[in-house]
Amino acid sequence: MKVEGWLFLGCATFFGGLDVIYWYYSKDPTGTAALAFAVCLAILIGFYVLFTGRRLPERPEDNPQGEIAEGSGEIGFFSPHSWWPLFVGFSCATAAAGFAMGWWLFLIGALMVMVSMIGFVFEYYRGRYAH
Amino acid sequence: MVALSLVAAGSCADPVLTLSCNNACLALSVSVSGKTLPALRSPVRRRPAAGPPATAGPPEFLAAGQAFTRRVKAGRSGFRKINAASWGGGCRSPTGCRNNDVVATASVTEAGPRTPANRPNLVSVGTIIWLSSELMFFAALFAMYFTVRSVEKGEGLPWPGAHLDVALGSVNTTVLLLSSVTCQMGVFAVERGQVGRVGSLFNVSKWGLREWYVLTFLMGLYFDCGQAYEYHDLVTKQHLTLSSSAYGSVFYIPTGFHGLHVAGGLVAFLFLLGRTYAAKRFTREQQISAIVVSYYWHFVDVVWIGLFTTIYLIH
Repeated sequence: MKVEGWLFLGCATFFGGLDVIYWYYSKDPTGTAALAFAVCLAILIGFYVLFTGRRLPERPEDNPQGEIAEGSGEIGFFSPHSWWPLFVGFSCATAAAGFAMGWWLFLIGALMVMVSMIGFVFEYYRGRYAH
Repeated sequence: MVALSLVAAGSCADPVLTLSCNNACLALSVSVSGKTLPALRSPVRRRPAAGPPATAGPPEFLAAGQAFTRRVKAGRSGFRKINAASWGGGCRSPTGCRNNDVVATASVTEAGPRTPANRPNLVSVGTIIWLSSELMFFAALFAMYFTVRSVEKGEGLPWPGAHLDVALGSVNTTVLLLSSVTCQMGVFAVERGQVGRVGSLFNVSKWGLREWYVLTFLMGLYFDCGQAYEYHDLVTKQHLTLSSSAYGSVFYIPTGFHGLHVAGGLVAFLFLLGRTYAAKRFTREQQISAIVVSYYWHFVDVVWIGLFTTIYLIH
């Protein structure tokens, strides 16, 4: 994972150099702050990738002699279908509409968000899926 | 030789899918003139018949995985045994080989799905990408602060537009910083696979994930309460509100959004703790959830350091 990591750290270096030049010529704090955060963005991802890559064995992608089949294995857990995201979205919309229409609607929406979030987070932790 | 198999649990009506590449790994060995050459470099690990690793794997799914393994063993899985004839061991190419003494034999051995230990977890990667976009959200807030600051200062207006309680803010900041430490202690417990304490409640060295995360939760709660207390003071004593002045806006919006992020982290801690109690086992999914919540918590902490330095110390 070294390539990906250094790719992002290279971006960070680029943004950093650009930030200095930008500040030197414009003295504009807004753009300088935003560019500084772009540096942080690239460092965050680059550091994570390099740090994780050091703790993991070499991936097949890192090996020039690697085979597709070596990337086998479980990728992750994916819910086949779920109604809960719809309810969560609807609840959030209700709460957001409360800002425009009145605090009473926001309170109702917040309550709905709480209930639907609990349903969403614990969907595979209860009933027939409990483990 | 890639077998992309979607292990759909045929036996249950509401299957939970786990995408897995090459579930039945084929180990081929081609023997050429008596020598055995490994045809696949893949480290096929033979594991006892078991379903996918228990990342939230419900019982039905485990059962389905085992049924699939049994079908593979009985030769009814759709993965046929590959023998020399069907594999083209006798060279069919008119130009490729001339000697007929190449005898290729191949045997199929079955192995369970490999644990995903050789690649970063998708949930962690997704969290880091999301946090980097969150960083840009705060970048906009910082940019807003600096814009208004330079305009107000350029017009000769007083800056900052209120007297901030740096002492209270420092205590708050210290607590939030220390909560990052306790959060990381929880992650170390996760890496030991220890969900709860194994000793007395007062024996901190025996604490597990739950104790450390409850402590982190309380410290985060203290931070948000401290922020609310400071807001209350600013509104009642100095009459600084969101709409009272430009400084009010650029003070309350970044710190308020940060406070909301802390509150969101507190909710995440509660959900995580609830999950550890709702399940019988401490699964890998819960471990990953705990780790990504710690990523988020550290992120919120680092953002606060930037905000505190900018708004309270540098002005």
